[in-house]
Amino acid sequence: MVSAASARPVHPEYVRAQNPGKTARKIATRIALIVVSAIVIVWIAFPFYWAFLNSIKPAVDTFGSKWIPWVQFEPRLDTWQRVWSIREVRQGLLTSATIGLGGATLATAFGVPAAYAIARFRFGTKGNMAMTNWFLSQRIMPPVIFAPPIFILARTLGLLDTVLALVLLAGTFNIPFVVLIMSQMFRDLPVELEESAQVDGASRWEIFRRIALPLVAPGVVASWLIVLAFSWNEVFFALVVASKDAIPMTMYIVGLSGTRGVDFPAASTMALLMIAVPTIIALTCQRFIVRGLSLGAVKG
Amino acid sequence: MRGEATVEAPVRAAPRSEPSARWRARDRAKWFFLLPGVVWILLFTIFPLLYAIRMSLHAYRFGIEGAFVGLGNFQRLLTDAVLHEDLVTTFQFVISSVAVEMVVGVSLALLFNREMRGRGLLRTLATLPLFATPVAIGYLGITLFYEEGGPVNAFIQTLGGSQVPWLSNPFWAKVAIILLDIWQWTPFVFLVSLAGLQGLSQDLTEASEVDGAAWWQSLVFIILPLMAPLLWLILLLRAIEAFKVFDTVVTLTAGGPGRATEVISRYTYITMRKFSDYGYAAAQGFLLLLIVAILFTLLWSRIKHNYGAPR
Amino acid sequence: MADRKQLELARALLAGRIDRRDFLKQASVLGISAAAADLFLRAAPGARAQDSGPVPPVVAEPCGDDCPFAGQTVTVLVNTGGGEKGSIEGPFHEVRAEFEAATGATLNIAAVPFEEHFPKLIEDMASGTGQYDTSVAGAWWLGDLVAADFLLAYDEYYNDTSGKFPEWDYDAVLTGPRSLLEYGGSKYMVPNDHDGQVLYYRSDLFADSEHQAAFAEAYNYDLAVPTTWDQFADIAEYFNGKDLNGDGEPDSGVVLHLKVGQQGMFHFMSFSAPFVIGPENPKLYWFNPDDMTPLVNSAGHVAALNKLIEITKFGPEAMFGWNLPEGWSYFLAGRAAMTFTWGDLGALAQETAERGGQSTVQGMTGAGPIPGTNGYFNVATNAMVETAEPNMVGNTTGGSWAGVISKFSKAPEATYFLLALMATKPKSVVYGYRGWDGVDPGRTFHFLPPNGDNSIEGYEGGGWAAADAEAYTTAYFENFGAELQFPYLRIPGTFEYWQAFDVRLSEAVTGQSSAEDALNAAVADFEGITDRLGRETQLEQYRTSLGL
Repeated sequence: MVSAASARPVHPEYVRAQNPGKTARKIATRIALIVVSAIVIVWIAFPFYWAFLNSIKPAVDTFGSKWIPWVQFEPRLDTWQRVWSIREVRQGLLTSATIGLGGATLATAFGVPAAYAIARFRFGTKGNMAMTNWFLSQRIMPPVIFAPPIFILARTLGLLDTVLALVLLAGTFNIPFVVLIMSQMFRDLPVELEESAQVDGASRWEIFRRIALPLVAPGVVASWLIVLAFSWNEVFFALVVASKDAIPMTMYIVGLSGTRGVDFPAASTMALLMIAVPTIIALTCQRFIVRGLSLGAVKG
Repeated sequence: MRGEATVEAPVRAAPRSEPSARWRARDRAKWFFLLPGVVWILLFTIFPLLYAIRMSLHAYRFGIEGAFVGLGNFQRLLTDAVLHEDLVTTFQFVISSVAVEMVVGVSLALLFNREMRGRGLLRTLATLPLFATPVAIGYLGITLFYEEGGPVNAFIQTLGGSQVPWLSNPFWAKVAIILLDIWQWTPFVFLVSLAGLQGLSQDLTEASEVDGAAWWQSLVFIILPLMAPLLWLILLLRAIEAFKVFDTVVTLTAGGPGRATEVISRYTYITMRKFSDYGYAAAQGFLLLLIVAILFTLLWSRIKHNYGAPR
Repeated sequence: MADRKQLELARALLAGRIDRRDFLKQASVLGISAAAADLFLRAAPGARAQDSGPVPPVVAEPCGDDCPFAGQTVTVLVNTGGGEKGSIEGPFHEVRAEFEAATGATLNIAAVPFEEHFPKLIEDMASGTGQYDTSVAGAWWLGDLVAADFLLAYDEYYNDTSGKFPEWDYDAVLTGPRSLLEYGGSKYMVPNDHDGQVLYYRSDLFADSEHQAAFAEAYNYDLAVPTTWDQFADIAEYFNGKDLNGDGEPDSGVVLHLKVGQQGMFHFMSFSAPFVIGPENPKLYWFNPDDMTPLVNSAGHVAALNKLIEITKFGPEAMFGWNLPEGWSYFLAGRAAMTFTWGDLGALAQETAERGGQSTVQGMTGAGPIPGTNGYFNVATNAMVETAEPNMVGNTTGGSWAGVISKFSKAPEATYFLLALMATKPKSVVYGYRGWDGVDPGRTFHFLPPNGDNSIEGYEGGGWAAADAEAYTTAYFENFGAELQFPYLRIPGTFEYWQAFDVRLSEAVTGQSSAEDALNAAVADFEGITDRLGRETQLEQYRTSLGL
């Protein structure tokens, strides 16, 4: 068909006669695919591009639609320099990174063994399902429920305004997510390997650590990364708990709407700084993450 | 054609092998694996929840416990017109955004469920919004939706539309919030349902190659029923996440204009922080918990009833 | 250079000439060299940010070996403003090195979101934690802070003339803003920002003979700076839809910033004052001092809100979702004939693109006191009281963001040193010139003779157009010196009352409820708050605040 098409102009009637509807349909599908892809790509990417533009535009051009650097406006890096020079911003990024890394590590450390337990052991007749449901139900609880008591409790325990408190909160509230992903991962592993090791006299812990864990390593990494991104983006508990030393970047960004309004070039620059980390994660580990998200969804 | 196999098919790497009876026997080691996580979560949830009960029975001011007020805070839940309006707003938000996300996300997944160049790129790109910091996206939204010639309106006006009052009009402000959520979360629906479709057997996927009527038939009678359990699960997760919406509202509209985009999470936050009313905020928390629990139970039991329980 | 290399590298990868690992390695080398290039650029003079205007002189001498507050730490809580160029927050960054050198103390700046500032401050104090030594607080928080005895009065420090602290002049503050510094006879806020709202208009348009003729034709009186809101509405209507900045696009008669959850309630306060306050009612705006019944749904309040809604028709619809910078940008781009807002705008109008700002209206920004009415409504009888002259009411609406000292501070003297340093004349004069720092004028040395002892040369040196400086300082002087002043509320719970008020007003201006309904709803909200806080104590506090 292709050669025929390139040889001379193809009359639609001719194509239809030759191949009842098929080629026309294929071409139509192809065009539709290209058009939809283009729309989707623009739809997804434009906000990022816009943030980037805002960060290199002079404040006067923040509003209105100047799209093309050099042609419509002179790009400049002074917003980036200004933002980077703010001590609190660097501190905030560091705090966010600590919360992300700490939260992710905490959640995986507690979540993976629990997932293993649910996948491999039997807890009564309905126990396993009940456990899965329970973890899932933890995930549905809106954080706002916990905010009032957690503020008071953190104060009582002297954890107010500590990064530790934010790490604990971010980590804990993401354990269910890890459990749900990882229990599915463990179930998908053939159990025979572990059973033969058991016959050889290995302890449960050794089996877990030496055999099961290495096999699901990609899953562990995926869930670790996803939780890292979630914790990195967390703002709600930060607003409640942090007040001076433990202010993460997200909370600093919320504050950009100060007494004299939002500094949009700075906000866009900080937004890009914030988005950079999850973006790098998403770009480098895309396969893991899609799989992780799917599992989280599929097995709920 | 029961659901369970289908649900798992999309993501199962290897054929499942069941642990033999020995694994299932009484084994104290299992507690060693399970309990740390469970206890840890309980420490952080049950204890605060119990404490929240106590709080909900007291008056508070500036974070200091005041008089015992009995069920007074719960009575206020019934008479607080503002709370009721915010609940309606929240439901509007959840229903509209999740509906659009499901339809668009699944349609895109069906469309791109074929071998094509650049699909990997598309998938990679689609993961970006999922992790984009919501508070930052909210501020970005202010410049995107800027009414006097911001990019969104410039685009609409190029197409011949008129200037849309995105953030100044109560109706359009709701649309703006919903659009941001759609931008952020449609990729999730797309990615997961695409993974689901790819797990379906190749014969079925090729059905999309046959012509018009048959394609529709295979979609309606084969593909969608097979996908149904997965789609219900996505719906459940999205609905519950949408109920928690907070970040983007805070930075994009601050609940305004008026309280047109005030959602329940933000109202509780305001009650707690701006009105320093921790007791009432705690009571609101319990109401929200009740609503989410009902929603969850309804959807979950439906999924279990129709498609069997995932273990 | 780096760009081209990167492109080549990518091409090589695509062509399969190198594998991914090599690509990453080479790309990162490129990335590092690009970063190094950037560092170099930063050091290069050409890449420097533009001249951002005058810089305040160093006032405090370094203490060398004999530091009065060595080893102490002062933590200041501010609204996040965006760092070193942030409003209110910025000057603290600017003064940090000077303060640390002069005292041996360390200055920490804790920036939190506006919405979190008051809750964090008062919860910190209520629990006696004391992690903040000072907060750059909004004046309307003082009721709660003082009633609960959380603040340290600084009278003693101020009276100490031994040279221990930088000296500044309390009496230089004009009476309006000065009334916000003290509470119950003690001094609590160290003057910094002096908020109040005035009218801004495009002086070039008002002086244009064609506009003058057309306006007189249409409205049967001469175009002049409005002294009543009726005139304001006429002028706004007249200019609305005309091209005001020569770009061929229709522009607006007025621009406001009415986004909810920010400080929208302040605009209504300034606006509505002459509808409620008058010669026979100088003080009652908020509550009935007999029983704490809210007055905010009185006939005057309703008339004011309806008038405000009428005026918003002559502005861009988008302004209902606008916060300060969006509204200001619009005026600075020459797209509106009038606005009323804080002192920042007058100073921002001087910051043109060459100076890193966005103003296109330097030298064209006139200012005047907030317009009045031809009569106000008696809050008790709801009857109209006509006035012979326009009934104009001055205001100090806004935060007047200024430092207060926490009673729980472990370094109160060092804290006062910091606040006093920033209150000194050489510093404050320069803060007043600048727009970006958010610090607005309100002391004699900010004004021109005969009102004060600054000079037009001073303002010109600060980057101002002479005409603008003249109009601006006169407007502010008249505003702060007006006989009638808007009764600023400072009783406990004000934060909550105003939060509720703000939401209801936003509902009304965006057409979600009528003016009456919105104000009635505000009354109900107020009653709820009063009941929760205790009607008796609230009443007592309110009466005290009125001097009853």
